Amino acid sequence: MNKNPTAPNLILLGINHNTAPIEVRERLAIAPSRLADATRALAHQPGIREAIILSTCNRVELLTVQDSAHPADENPGTLNFLYEYLNLPATDLQPHLYEFREREAIRHLFRVASSLDSMVVGEPQILGQVKEAYTTGREVGAVSTTLEGLLQRAFTVAKRVRTETQIGSSSVSIASVAVDLARKIFDSLEGKTVLLVGAGKMSELAARHLIQQGAASILVANRTQSRAEQIAQDFKGQVIPFDQLYEQADRADIVITSTGAPQKIFGRSHGQHFLQRRRNRPMFFIDIAVPRDVDPGMNDVEGCFVYDIDDLQQVAQANLADRSREAEAAETIVTREVDKYLQRLQTLNAVPAIQSLQQYAETIRQAELRRSQSKLASLTPEQRDAVEALTRSLTAKFLHHPLTGIRQAAQEGDAQALADLQRLYTGQSELKSDPNSED
Amino acid sequence: MSLLWLRVAVLFYGIASLAVLPAALYDRPRWRHIAIPATTAALFFHFVSLIEMLNAAHHRLPVDTHETQSFLGLVLALAFLFIYGRYKTVSLGIFVLPICFLLGLIPAFRPGEEATAFPHLHTGWIFLHVALLLAAYAALFLSLLASLLYLIQERRLKRKSPALKWLPPLETTDQIALKTLLFGLPCMTAGLLIGSVIAQQTIGASYFLDPKVLLSFAMWLAYVAMIFIRRHSGLRGRRAVYLSSFVFLVVLAVWAANQLSVVHRFTAP
Repeated sequence: MNKNPTAPNLILLGINHNTAPIEVRERLAIAPSRLADATRALAHQPGIREAIILSTCNRVELLTVQDSAHPADENPGTLNFLYEYLNLPATDLQPHLYEFREREAIRHLFRVASSLDSMVVGEPQILGQVKEAYTTGREVGAVSTTLEGLLQRAFTVAKRVRTETQIGSSSVSIASVAVDLARKIFDSLEGKTVLLVGAGKMSELAARHLIQQGAASILVANRTQSRAEQIAQDFKGQVIPFDQLYEQADRADIVITSTGAPQKIFGRSHGQHFLQRRRNRPMFFIDIAVPRDVDPGMNDVEGCFVYDIDDLQQVAQANLADRSREAEAAETIVTREVDKYLQRLQTLNAVPAIQSLQQYAETIRQAELRRSQSKLASLTPEQRDAVEALTRSLTAKFLHHPLTGIRQAAQEGDAQALADLQRLYTGQSELKSDPNSED
Repeated sequence: MSLLWLRVAVLFYGIASLAVLPAALYDRPRWRHIAIPATTAALFFHFVSLIEMLNAAHHRLPVDTHETQSFLGLVLALAFLFIYGRYKTVSLGIFVLPICFLLGLIPAFRPGEEATAFPHLHTGWIFLHVALLLAAYAALFLSLLASLLYLIQERRLKRKSPALKWLPPLETTDQIALKTLLFGLPCMTAGLLIGSVIAQQTIGASYFLDPKVLLSFAMWLAYVAMIFIRRHSGLRGRRAVYLSSFVFLVVLAVWAANQLSVVHRFTAP
């Protein structure tokens, strides 16, 4: 007996950052330009009705709806595709592959879309990547009713996780932590001036993040004038001669330092002077240099906020821990949503049986009324209406228990009971089992 | 009837006070969508009840302590909604809305029974005097509250502790603190001037010897000095809190001076 008649023969096969090293992932990765072609090829494999491919730098997953359930160790269409389309020997892939079926496949998809399976839990890009896989699948005709419903549900679950938990609210990279802190001080970064002292990849990345958030202008000070000019050109900023640094630094709301200087560039007294000239408007110093460029004592000056690389890393770590806590709440949401999704499919599956039984009863009722037409001819219109209402009421009451039984059997996934009920009341033994046939 | 509407308003203040907690502390938009409409509804019913209460009592301004409290609650709720509209933050509601609830709760279940025998209380000018001064008090309270929130957030950022997510950014709290002060100054100035003119006409020169009146002018001077210092030195953080607290203490003293004041005994014995 199939205890789960509504499961749409879903199989998810893939590798991710937890199961495969980068050397394997890069061999399996499918470039965006080839994604449509690959999806089409997968959907055309024998036995596969619908398919999408999710290919990111951390995972490659093939989600398919198959014609009939295969034994647990068989998935010929998808495996054929992997070995034929991607020319990868089975021995190379097998140790890294994971396979989820039915309920577990749905759960995995919901977790992936909600960023619970990501390397950095809560990162927002994955949902866009799942949507891209879905759009490509639709464009090539590989997505039909089952995957359409499932993926739409996955997007809803991801949105719910994001709004009902704080999973994506805190930053976990140094550059985005710096931006978050700046926003805790300045609210909007629009119109704010950023001063870059020294050059370094991380400081430039932080500056880029700040500009993306609306910072208006960039000032650049570097001991090597040509390097300063180059950075200023990249950011469409303005160069400050290094010897005028202390005269002009107070123009900046945010100062990012990353020089290689062995001694401190900014001391506590500099902070006091800057604040005085700025009439106490706050300044945020992001010190990425090692050894540090900013005297930590400047943090004691009211209005000066100094964060060095360790401080930023600590905030990032704390945020990561926050995300892990939120992930627990998100997992509960996902589990509930999987149950709801399956329950909905099962309830939908009962619809044909319910309709068939209702139609059967109605046909009998109409036939019986027609048979008695001559005997009822002498009745007044009011009396005929009363007879009509009486027969309807009798039919409804008679059907109440069987219909409740069908719904219950569908919710419990008891295909045998469903078939028995239908056979018992209608004499038909065939049970429609496509969960999406009513969609 | 007026008590019914006030009780409805208090109920809505209570709902808003509870809803604002998850809305602000956990940034839950759904709860914000409850807190703000609940505050708006509370404000509406509070306004209706106040009008009915004043009409029923045959005077046009809050006379007894309960009426004044209730009116102050209404002004605070209005200020909270205005701040929400301008700065999109509900954080102040954690403190303001329970205060509105408490300020409405006592009059809603123990209405004042004081009556007035003063005919001039029926003029619109005296209403303006009271309303403007209460608005100034509310502004000062909100400014102090915003300065305190600034201080808490500033300390956390300085100590490298995780910033409290429910607190608005420093720049926003600073703006709220300063703008509410700037709003309060014309209210207080106009309120005191109107009060002085009315008192001069009805009571005469003895008005200026009243302790409440003397303290009120001291309060005004402290208020002006505070704004001057804040604007010209860009005072923020701890010192701004000290200054706001000092002026707030003066305001409390002015409020308490009602007990000693002859001029402000509006109620009939």
